[in-house]
Amino acid sequence: MADTAIHGSIAAETEHGVPSHATSTGISNEKLAMWVFLGSDCLLFGALISTYLLLRHRSLTGPEELRGPANVFDIPFTSVSSFVLLFSSLTMALAVGAIHRGDVRRCRTFLLTTALLGSVFIGGQVYEFTSFVNEGLGYTTNILGSAFYTLTGFHGVHVSVGIMFLMSLFVMSLRGKLGPERAETVEIFGLYWHFVDIVWILIFTIVYLIP
Amino acid sequence: MAIVERPAAPLELAPGATVTVRPLGVFTRPKATTGWRSWFTTVDHKRVGILYGAAAMFFFLLGGVEALFIRAQLAAPGQELYSADLYNQLFTMHGVTMIFLVVIPIGAAFMNYLMPLQIGARDVAFPRVNALSFWVFLFGGLFLNTSWFLGGGADGGWFAYAPNTGVTFSPGHGMDFYALGLQMTGIASLLGAINLVVTVLNMRAPGMTLMKMPVFTWMGLVTQLLLVFALPVLSVALFLLTFDRLFDANFFNVSAGADPLLWEHLFWIFGHPEVYILILPAFGIVSEIVPVFSRKPIFGYPFMVFSGIAIGFMGWGVWAHHMFASGMGPISVAAFSLSTMFIAVPTGVKILNWMATMWGGKLRFTTPMLFAIGLVTMFTIGGLSGVTHAVAPADTQQTDTYYIVAHFHYVLFGGALMGFLGGMYFWWPKVFGFALSDKLGKWHFWLILIGFNLTFGPMHILGLQGMPRRMHTYIADYGFETWNMVATIGAFLIAVAMLVFVGNILMSWRAHRANPVGPGPDPWDARSLEWSVPSPVPAHNFDTVPTVSHLDEFWHHKYQENAEGKVVRVATGAEVAQKGDGTGVHLPSPSYWPLVLAAALPIVGYGLIFNLGIAAAGGVLVILAGFGFGFEPSDDPEAHHGPHGPLGNGHGDGRAELGAGEDGAEPGSEGESAAKVAAGEAEPVGVTSGAGGARTSDTAADEEGSSDG
Amino acid sequence: MRAGRKTHRARPHRRALALLVPLLLLLSACASDAPQDTLEPEGPIARKIDNLVNPVFLIAAVVFVLVEFGVLYLVLKFRQRKDDDPDELPGQTHGNTKLEIGWTVLPALLLGFVAFATIATLLDIEDTDDDLAIQVTGQQWWWGFTYDTDGDGEFTDDDVLTANDLVIPAGQNVGLEVTSRDVIHSFWIPKLNGKKDAVPGRTHPLTINADEPGTYVGQCTEYCGLSHGYMRQRVVALPPDEFEAWLEDQQDEADMPTDDQAGAGADLFAAQCSVCHLARGINDDDFEERGDGTEQLVSDKAPDLTHFASRGAFAGATFDLWEDLDGDHIVEADEIGTDNDGQLNRADLEAWLRDPPGQKPMDAVSPEEVEAGEQGRGMPNLNLSEEQIDQLVAFLETLD
Repeated sequence: MADTAIHGSIAAETEHGVPSHATSTGISNEKLAMWVFLGSDCLLFGALISTYLLLRHRSLTGPEELRGPANVFDIPFTSVSSFVLLFSSLTMALAVGAIHRGDVRRCRTFLLTTALLGSVFIGGQVYEFTSFVNEGLGYTTNILGSAFYTLTGFHGVHVSVGIMFLMSLFVMSLRGKLGPERAETVEIFGLYWHFVDIVWILIFTIVYLIP
Repeated sequence: MAIVERPAAPLELAPGATVTVRPLGVFTRPKATTGWRSWFTTVDHKRVGILYGAAAMFFFLLGGVEALFIRAQLAAPGQELYSADLYNQLFTMHGVTMIFLVVIPIGAAFMNYLMPLQIGARDVAFPRVNALSFWVFLFGGLFLNTSWFLGGGADGGWFAYAPNTGVTFSPGHGMDFYALGLQMTGIASLLGAINLVVTVLNMRAPGMTLMKMPVFTWMGLVTQLLLVFALPVLSVALFLLTFDRLFDANFFNVSAGADPLLWEHLFWIFGHPEVYILILPAFGIVSEIVPVFSRKPIFGYPFMVFSGIAIGFMGWGVWAHHMFASGMGPISVAAFSLSTMFIAVPTGVKILNWMATMWGGKLRFTTPMLFAIGLVTMFTIGGLSGVTHAVAPADTQQTDTYYIVAHFHYVLFGGALMGFLGGMYFWWPKVFGFALSDKLGKWHFWLILIGFNLTFGPMHILGLQGMPRRMHTYIADYGFETWNMVATIGAFLIAVAMLVFVGNILMSWRAHRANPVGPGPDPWDARSLEWSVPSPVPAHNFDTVPTVSHLDEFWHHKYQENAEGKVVRVATGAEVAQKGDGTGVHLPSPSYWPLVLAAALPIVGYGLIFNLGIAAAGGVLVILAGFGFGFEPSDDPEAHHGPHGPLGNGHGDGRAELGAGEDGAEPGSEGESAAKVAAGEAEPVGVTSGAGGARTSDTAADEEGSSDG
Repeated sequence: MRAGRKTHRARPHRRALALLVPLLLLLSACASDAPQDTLEPEGPIARKIDNLVNPVFLIAAVVFVLVEFGVLYLVLKFRQRKDDDPDELPGQTHGNTKLEIGWTVLPALLLGFVAFATIATLLDIEDTDDDLAIQVTGQQWWWGFTYDTDGDGEFTDDDVLTANDLVIPAGQNVGLEVTSRDVIHSFWIPKLNGKKDAVPGRTHPLTINADEPGTYVGQCTEYCGLSHGYMRQRVVALPPDEFEAWLEDQQDEADMPTDDQAGAGADLFAAQCSVCHLARGINDDDFEERGDGTEQLVSDKAPDLTHFASRGAFAGATFDLWEDLDGDHIVEADEIGTDNDGQLNRADLEAWLRDPPGQKPMDAVSPEEVEAGEQGRGMPNLNLSEEQIDQLVAFLETLD
């Protein structure tokens, strides 16, 4: 045994099952890592949104009527799908609440609901993209097309990854592997999901609402 | 999501619980922690650090050879030793290699190895993610360099200004390799950065408050935070370039209405914080070396820390000083000119504080100290020339000339690389258990110093004489001949110096093999916690986790005030150091998955360039490997839990036979949340009383080596 | 290559200040004649920059000396001596807040002073009234210059187009509107002003002013691809009255040569070179205008050669067009565009026509490929016979 440790053993302080003693900040490693990652992701979307803002009115190519954002977007449709996504934040929060209360069943239900709502949003995005392409605004048509599909596409990928996570949690829950002791796992995922939703509020405002 | 992995968590069962073990994934979990094979599966932060260093030195060789080719071509006017096309590839790849594949990873090597030790931790927060970060970096770097054999390297400059990097103007595949390769190294750095930020914030030993952390760890933390926030901006820029080149997007298509300044802004918003990412670790290293060999504490520790933080913040507001000639409006130019000048203030504070640390000390001129002084003096030159081009009108004369080349080599070679070389000499005994020869080290230092100044000193003159950068040749009678020849001679002198370094490593190693006397835990009479453990550092780092009450904790065990209030030596380093014989320390298990997952990324890269089918296959492989990575618990449930030697990857005697519920994470079940499975599995469901005397260090390890509580 | 210019006495002390490397102080005395020297301004705007740079270099030099000699002093004064007791510690100072605040504030004040001077000069340079506007267009790998001779306030193909030599009146503020047709370039005449990037899709203002008539050289300073190292430019400053005469001349069309050989060359030019080059009065009918360049933004136009022989250099100012009777490459600036005293630099011109990409790296495509819409950059090898080359040279020489 190491008997010449600098200040002797600190084993006496170690208590299992008291996570707050575990890390210097009191936040678990996983949660802190998620916060740091989300901070990083802010800059990713920041750069993408700035790019879009800079380029959206600059198109010189493609059909005249498809060069400005205002002519292209169907705001009522996207408002509905945005609402669906926002609503999924509520169900996500309810899932986190349920698991903290130990209500595994209800947590599972809310996780599935969240995933479904997310899928509806992605479905809406696919429909929207398809109809834009049919109207003639492809990815390479003009700058607006490139910037729009890239920005919303990156967000869509974030939502899709989130749905995969949700389904994994759901399957885990079905198998009884997502008990109250895993509440934090659900909570950390919730951070991600809320972040993706907040980013969408920004994107929706900037892309669709600001002329 | 790999970042929600829970590492090093002991898997314990309530007494009496029985759980069946199921092998996970397609691989049998690697067991070996010694032998060459173990290097491919290691998750030990120290070995990952060594791998980072070795890979970086390999790329340094590549980048150095590229530099020699450049200098050979420019030795005399009008030379055409090889084509202009090849020259353009060489200077592009030289820059890309030195910045992304040498200086960043050498910094990563030091930070990986030292930061956990300096904060009294047994590993990083996410050991497998750490290994993944290294392998992604290595494969990204190799991917980038395979472009040489697949149609030629990138030829758009490391800064890759659009639209010259578009398919129209750079029709080869070089820029595709650039965009995708840097995307990979960016992923690697981001994973590493998140990991180290969490490690430093969360895994400090008891009593190690932020303001008791060594300056190196502080600078490392600032560096990693800069990476966390700067890399995504580069990622976006590279995505846009990739989409333009591969999918005909219009981001930099001027005839479609694009503005090429978009790339410049995105690139430099990343690129200037990047400069501080490159230099701050070296500042940290010097802040460790100078106090040790001055035998004084660092002068003005809070100023050193806050100036580092200030540089980190101000580094975000100066990017457009790379663009003074780019045609921004005068208001922007004025604003960025001002911000750039004032970032010199915290940097100057650092220089003066190092000098004040030396003031009144007893300076020992070992090789590390020489390199540290080399950084102080040479970086000063780079800093001052930096101020001269913060003066925007002056910069319109200086930018894109050799004056700038001189400036940033004084910063990155005279600054960062000097610091890193000093750091290598300083920590070599700690890392490898034998010291490098001081005599050869001094040869190395003086040759580097002279060669460096011969190479880059004349470039100041060349630049002010109006020699632009990035010319594959130059014509006679412009006053460029003499200084170019001097620079070329200097460059080859640097090569000789680096050969001396290699020779030093080999000869010192042989001498050590002939006479294997270790350097002891504390060969330099040093100050921070890494010197309180044996050299080389045992796998578990600390037998018992220290409790910290001072800055320079270890030093305070050796020196204390006597009755008259005078600080005197009370013990030698060896007396108060840990013995490295802690048994039963619980460590994360090695894994194949980081290697496999990382190896899948270049397949996507090649596929995107040559065949989208392969890219899709690579994508599937990435997802599968991601599943495998995520499903694998950080602990091997099958690992044998017998008694282990101090250097072994031992679990506690009588430790749990297996983890609870690993079977929950079965291959094929959904999603990347597998990492969460691992995370969840790591929650302790009970406590086993460890058998025998292992208990103490066991629990200590649990306490700090992981976050399970 | 030497462009005609006055010889300059190098001022080694100023370079040494900038160099900041004492090791090289001794050597800097042998700095040679440098026509692109940034520290030898020959115009009022460049001089403003120089007046700003000098005190900044001085401050930098003082700081440099203080730090470097400070370190040297520390190294000598505080080194461990042999007779020192290894267990005896030096005084353990941990810091001195007042001192540290001092050396935070002091550099900040010093830099505040530099910042003030910087902003003042910056605004001063920006605030320049131009007497004349010229469009400067970068393209791979040469510079084109457009003079608004038809006075419609725009730069079009109806205006005078030249290449390589930017002819300006001495002593006047000449406003350049810098732009590009392909990638980013940077226009720089070190003795007249700092550089300004030529960015496609944007126009950036830059004012130059030369004190005296003369030739001032520069190079493209933004990496612009393959032949960046061979993209050069020159400013030829003429006395204002000569400048007016020159501009009048440039508006003339070329005359069909009377001489047989040159006439054969003119026919060859019309047949072979019209895909890219225009000599007004010679091949207007054959020359095909392929867009104004904004669609493709690649260099699908080559220099207008109507007054080729009035220029001092060719091929992106890579080669001098004239040499004096001793064979030295030299063109007296005040003779440009008037009557050249020298003789044609026949060797380089012939070599160029024989194999342009061999003389200067270029991504050239053949005229047929250009017709087919390929985007070539630079001049291809036209596989001319020696006789054709002689005819072309004879023709080109008439284009004054």
